[in-house]
Amino acid sequence: MKEALTLVQKLSAHPDSRCWFVSWSPSGTLLASCGGDKAIRIWGREGDSWICKSVLQDGHQRTVRKVAWSPCGKYLASASFDATTCIWKKNNEDFESLTVLEGHENEVKCVAWAPSGNLLATCSRDKSVWVWEVDEEDEYECVTVVNSHTQDVKHVVWHPTQELLASASYDNNVCIYKEEDDDWECRATLQGHTSTVWSLAFDGSGQRLASCSDDRTVKIWKEYPNESGQGDLSWKCVCTLSGYHKRTVYDVAWCRLTGALATACGDDAVRVFKEDEASDPDQPVFSLAAQATKAHSQDVNCVAWNPKEAGLLASCSDEGDISIWRFHEED
Amino acid sequence: MSEVNIAKRKEKCENCTKQCNKKQGDDGANSHQESDEVNGQVHEGSQLLLSACLSCDGCLTEEESLKISQQSLQEVERVLALNKKCDVSKHKVLVASICPQSLPFFAVKFGLDVTEAAHKLCGFLKSLGVQYVFDTTLAAGFSILESQKEFIQRYRRRHHDTHAMPMFTSSCPGWIRYSERVLGSLVTPHICTARSPQQIMGCLVKDYFSKQQKLSPEKVYHVLVAPCFDKKLEAVREEFYNSLLETRDVDCVLTSGEIYCLMEQRKVSVEGPDSVPLDHVLGEAGDVALVRHEGRGSEGFLEHIFKHAAKELFGLDVHEITYKNLRNRDFQEVTLERDGETLLQFAAVYGFRNIQTLVHRMRKGRVPYQLVEVLSCPGGCLSGRGQAESEAGGRVDKALVQQMEEAYSSLPVRLPEVNPALHTLYQDWLQGQDSSQASALLHTQYRNQTQSHTQPPHMQW
Repeated sequence: MKEALTLVQKLSAHPDSRCWFVSWSPSGTLLASCGGDKAIRIWGREGDSWICKSVLQDGHQRTVRKVAWSPCGKYLASASFDATTCIWKKNNEDFESLTVLEGHENEVKCVAWAPSGNLLATCSRDKSVWVWEVDEEDEYECVTVVNSHTQDVKHVVWHPTQELLASASYDNNVCIYKEEDDDWECRATLQGHTSTVWSLAFDGSGQRLASCSDDRTVKIWKEYPNESGQGDLSWKCVCTLSGYHKRTVYDVAWCRLTGALATACGDDAVRVFKEDEASDPDQPVFSLAAQATKAHSQDVNCVAWNPKEAGLLASCSDEGDISIWRFHEED
Repeated sequence: MSEVNIAKRKEKCENCTKQCNKKQGDDGANSHQESDEVNGQVHEGSQLLLSACLSCDGCLTEEESLKISQQSLQEVERVLALNKKCDVSKHKVLVASICPQSLPFFAVKFGLDVTEAAHKLCGFLKSLGVQYVFDTTLAAGFSILESQKEFIQRYRRRHHDTHAMPMFTSSCPGWIRYSERVLGSLVTPHICTARSPQQIMGCLVKDYFSKQQKLSPEKVYHVLVAPCFDKKLEAVREEFYNSLLETRDVDCVLTSGEIYCLMEQRKVSVEGPDSVPLDHVLGEAGDVALVRHEGRGSEGFLEHIFKHAAKELFGLDVHEITYKNLRNRDFQEVTLERDGETLLQFAAVYGFRNIQTLVHRMRKGRVPYQLVEVLSCPGGCLSGRGQAESEAGGRVDKALVQQMEEAYSSLPVRLPEVNPALHTLYQDWLQGQDSSQASALLHTQYRNQTQSHTQPPHMQW
């Protein structure tokens, strides 16, 4: 391998607790993390180091599972096991709780903002996916509730450019949703994984979707125009990365700047894959470019590429730590 | 791997043992079935398709799921079979009540107009051994009149009773259960206490009609044909059980689809059964001309209350109602204005996502309506999953719903105020419109049985 993953800094982010998720702000200058200690921490750079800038403590009564920044960077959404989703507004270095979205029956597993900034999606162990709309007065209302999965929904992610939503579930499937005639519907069900699908990531163009699973593989899916030319969408699995991960793959992240694919695994490792340049777009080949086999001392739950600084990667783990990495050409 | 880590790993599986089972192989399949059953989705035979408002873990107990699944074609056939045996003590008089929302389904399926379809359906049911077949429009009339009355009372006390307005309609059991189990006191004091058409029909049959026929209520087996599965849950509500006589007001709810399935099972075509006119609860002879209430297929509570309130409170006669679509087709507003002033503002809110919006606005105190007609099913009762589900499953058959709507609209409208049968019953059965009998038999109560989210039974993620 000509590339390497070098550790830049390790942060004891959520002491005595799991760190579940990390998310970079759209400007790339801040990193939000959340964990089993029910708190959200905001990290920023001071000189060469990352330090904790704020702690959002009293927003939730249980574990905070995921956080997501709005496309404009002014809002942060947090999804919690307490069945609520909190919307925070950024005021310089402070965050104030703007509103709390209720309605899910139990643990909210994920929250994601649409690229327009007007829509928000959440998903839950109650098997449903909700889409919310925000109006000019910062009021959030339910647009739809879709029940296409038969089990816990782990993750939702929006297409980078279209109003299209994807969800991943304990039922081993990925669902794709689009708005059709007054309501949202599941337009495609991607089957192929043989166990829970934990996470999803679209590539920069939105033409391909990566999914990662408890079956220890990562699959790449590509959208094809439907044979009959209308109606439902057609997604096919064009690549499966297997044999690399020794345990459940909990997260996958696709860098918008470089196209590199990072994974977070239950074998405590962080891995980066790159697509072979000569590979056929209908049968892409991804190779392992670098890995940190003992990235953490426990399960790695999340990986996230910095949206502005190529090669900067964050990961977090059950041991409560965040690691900042640089993925680069080895000298 | 240390023991602590192994334990932590196990804890990480949110469905705990399920995940471990999954890793080992196909054992997980069994636990899926278990959880599906608790959710009311039984996989053998006919699938229960509860509305979005009911199909979650929080709303149905296992006992209720069981009681619901017992309301089946097999059960009715069992009762019919007992009637053919010699043991007279097990004989029952079968009464079937048909919801006006179910008739358009049969009209479309039979290719007949609604009245003809009703006669054929009646003929079929009687050929099975059902003795009396009624139309529940009569009971719906009671429900509408009582809802109108309650609305006026609530309106008049709106300034000193914070729970008076908005009033929510009470005919949809999915909505009622969701309110009781999940929403609690934010919503339940606002729900109209008038019983639903189904519940009133239950009383009418087991109290009034039984007495007229000199039958004890437990000798009557009351089947109700409804457009949805939620009505099965309504039938098992505690309030509608007479523990002294161990009899329910409605013994079994069957969906339109289930009855149609029965016809197909017995290879009965539409030409087969005789055309038999429906019976009258008051025992009158002669053909009962089918009429309907206002609105688009859900008994028109909004429309009736709107017209009644306009007249009663402001002396205005409303002839036509204009609906304004707000967020989508299932969230509509109706306004009464005079000289630029808004006198009344009502809303029709159907479907889970719109109910969420309504509840959200309730929490913020931003509901300007005096009345909201709330239904679990987008499109209203004609779109009930017991008749509107497409054969492929999972989706509503839009073409079928449209045909049902047309069939429903073809019936003439009659206001309950001018139904002579209702007047007679108020006197003969209830001893007056404001009597304690009327209050007891035509009204109900709601209970807050909310479960807290913050105390989970075990660690989940």
